[in-house]
Amino acid sequence: MSSLEIKHLFGLRGVSKHDIRLILDHAKQFREILERPVKKVPSLRGMTVVNLFFENSTRTRTSFELAEKRLSADTVNFASSNSSVKKGETLVDTLRNIEAMKIDIVVVRHKGTGVPKFLADNSNAIIVNAGDGAHEHPTQALLDMLTVEEKLGTLEGKNVTIIGDIRHSRVARSNLWGMTTMGAHVTLCGPSTLVPRNTDLMNHVTWEPDVKKAVANADAIIALRLQKERMDDALLPSMREYRNTFGITQELLDCAKDKVIIMHPGPINRGVELDSDIADGEHSVILDQVTNGVAVRMAVLFLLAGGRNNENA
Amino acid sequence: MKMRSLSDISNVVLKNAMFWNGQKFEPRDEVCLHVLNGIVPRDESFVRGDEFDCKGALVIPALFGLGLDFMEPLRDDVYKYSDGIDAMRKGGFYGGLYESSANPIDDADKLTATANRFKMFNTIVGEFEVKFLGAYSKGFGTDSLAEMMELAEAGVVGFGDGNAAIPHSRFLRLAMEYGKMTGKRFFFQPMDKTLRKSGCVHEGAYSDMLGMKGIPRIAETVAAYTVLETARFLQVPVHFKQVTCGETLELIRSARKKGIDVTCDVGLYHLLLDDSCLETLDSAYHILPPIRSAADRDALWQGIVDGTVDAISVNHTPVLRQDTVVNFEDSVPGALSLEIALPAIWNKLVSKVGEARAIELLSTAPARLASAAPAQNNIVVFAPDRPHVVVESDFAGHVCNSPLMGKTLPSSILATYINSVWTEM
Repeated sequence: MSSLEIKHLFGLRGVSKHDIRLILDHAKQFREILERPVKKVPSLRGMTVVNLFFENSTRTRTSFELAEKRLSADTVNFASSNSSVKKGETLVDTLRNIEAMKIDIVVVRHKGTGVPKFLADNSNAIIVNAGDGAHEHPTQALLDMLTVEEKLGTLEGKNVTIIGDIRHSRVARSNLWGMTTMGAHVTLCGPSTLVPRNTDLMNHVTWEPDVKKAVANADAIIALRLQKERMDDALLPSMREYRNTFGITQELLDCAKDKVIIMHPGPINRGVELDSDIADGEHSVILDQVTNGVAVRMAVLFLLAGGRNNENA
Repeated sequence: MKMRSLSDISNVVLKNAMFWNGQKFEPRDEVCLHVLNGIVPRDESFVRGDEFDCKGALVIPALFGLGLDFMEPLRDDVYKYSDGIDAMRKGGFYGGLYESSANPIDDADKLTATANRFKMFNTIVGEFEVKFLGAYSKGFGTDSLAEMMELAEAGVVGFGDGNAAIPHSRFLRLAMEYGKMTGKRFFFQPMDKTLRKSGCVHEGAYSDMLGMKGIPRIAETVAAYTVLETARFLQVPVHFKQVTCGETLELIRSARKKGIDVTCDVGLYHLLLDDSCLETLDSAYHILPPIRSAADRDALWQGIVDGTVDAISVNHTPVLRQDTVVNFEDSVPGALSLEIALPAIWNKLVSKVGEARAIELLSTAPARLASAAPAQNNIVVFAPDRPHVVVESDFAGHVCNSPLMGKTLPSSILATYINSVWTEM
């Protein structure tokens, strides 16, 4: 089957191995196209995509916008800071107004869990989740998976360790669903105030409080961005202690495999979750992630749009 | 819905009904509502009237609702006191304990104004047995005490918190210390606001899986313990509204052993649902205090069975449609329940505790907690084995916020006879 089972992309929990495989395989093709002198394909010509961002975003929105333009879609950006939302318009009214402008695909980021599903329930557009609260950020996880496959050949049987603020991380949640579906073993590690307190429904992954043990068998390590607000909220005493306990330093890297790859969803707090020399060092694949982000988002948009003009891809 | 007041009709005669006699249901071929209502028949023609064939349905005492809040004066174009009264009649409630969270009854004038609004509608349809909780602080704040002595004299049956989190410990002590002079009970929804913070769902496996901000059980137990210790110290009677977890029930059991006068209720939806409903991300399940885990729900049922729980509350809270048609975390919490409470819970309740205790939990005990009169001749004609699909038109007013919308309830209300008004559904 060469089409997706899902109609929208809300998250990776419950998404089949078939669908993830299809997205990653298409992303690999788009990755090749991105290396060509002419990087544009006509796959979404005539379609309109709106990037509906209710939260600040630079790289994810840019990545989506670039993916949409590479697919020849018409793109509209809609940020809550300069929209009617500020004037009290409800979410569903905002969507219906945008939809009335004959939009085909909505890429949405919002602070609320489940907003993409809510929008899908209330519109006819194809909805792509670009991050909803601490719930999911599926395209980030897909680009992480693509990067692991690109660098390590496969996800099957690989050990992926995610370190940091797991509790508030939509990236971690999407990765733990997606990567385990694809056969990777995921280990999660972070300060006790920043990991979920109830893991009964996420017991297919390993929770390891000792960071050295967490990285010992890792083939890939994903360091999560630490929000400064966590200190204000008394979840952590200081950036310094966090860096010394959970930061990816050379000392910690010495405990890992020689060929481990280091990933980060960005933007990096250099010297906090990741030391500068590691971020820029030989193990780092962070810029590959950024490139893969465009390819993955092209694949998602292309496949959800129904694979139209497939021959042009 | 067909509604007729006693003055509009000659009479209604119920045929083939199973009447509750105070101990059990017994078959009655024919019961005249006039006679039930204490009106002495003048002659045979007076007794005869429209017949209503109950077809073996149960006739049970009408219910008393703990936790009424019709949200006036927020949007009286959407939901009015009269809608609330309609909801009570539809659901078979002859009365209820009203506590406005939007408009705190913190002085005697406000009590009079609120009571008058009820009376204004009641004059049309008879007198519902509505009792009021006063606020123990001005505006449910933590700076100034409400005029509790005057409120008590004006008729409040107790003092409440408007379902806000409990205040800081010094203010709590002062409020209870002052309010003790009234001899009234304090009604708290035990919630520590710092532990709740911005939580909107039960902190558990589902909230963590979905990345939603949770409210831990200790937000309830810490608050409950603080209240109980203050109640023990001051010898003031307290009531806990909508207990959600077994740990709080354990605190209550322990407190009673120490001689603390503490009563409690559990909410309808907390007995019917568990937090697996969060997977739907449907804002209809946004209820505060939050729907907790299946283990908590089972512990509440255990509390019902062993008698720790005094009553089942309805916590009827209309929410404007535009406040529910949003994503879960941005929606306004609350659920309607008056119209569907009985058919939603009767069968399960009876299977756990039997018919007599079920009636006690839904009618007699809530009325007693609110110092209200018993149901007397107000009745509900109820078919426990006739399923009913919940639809918008089941609800009064221009709202329909219920997690049971579209669901099939195992039972149906066929008719109610409340305050001399016969209503067929």
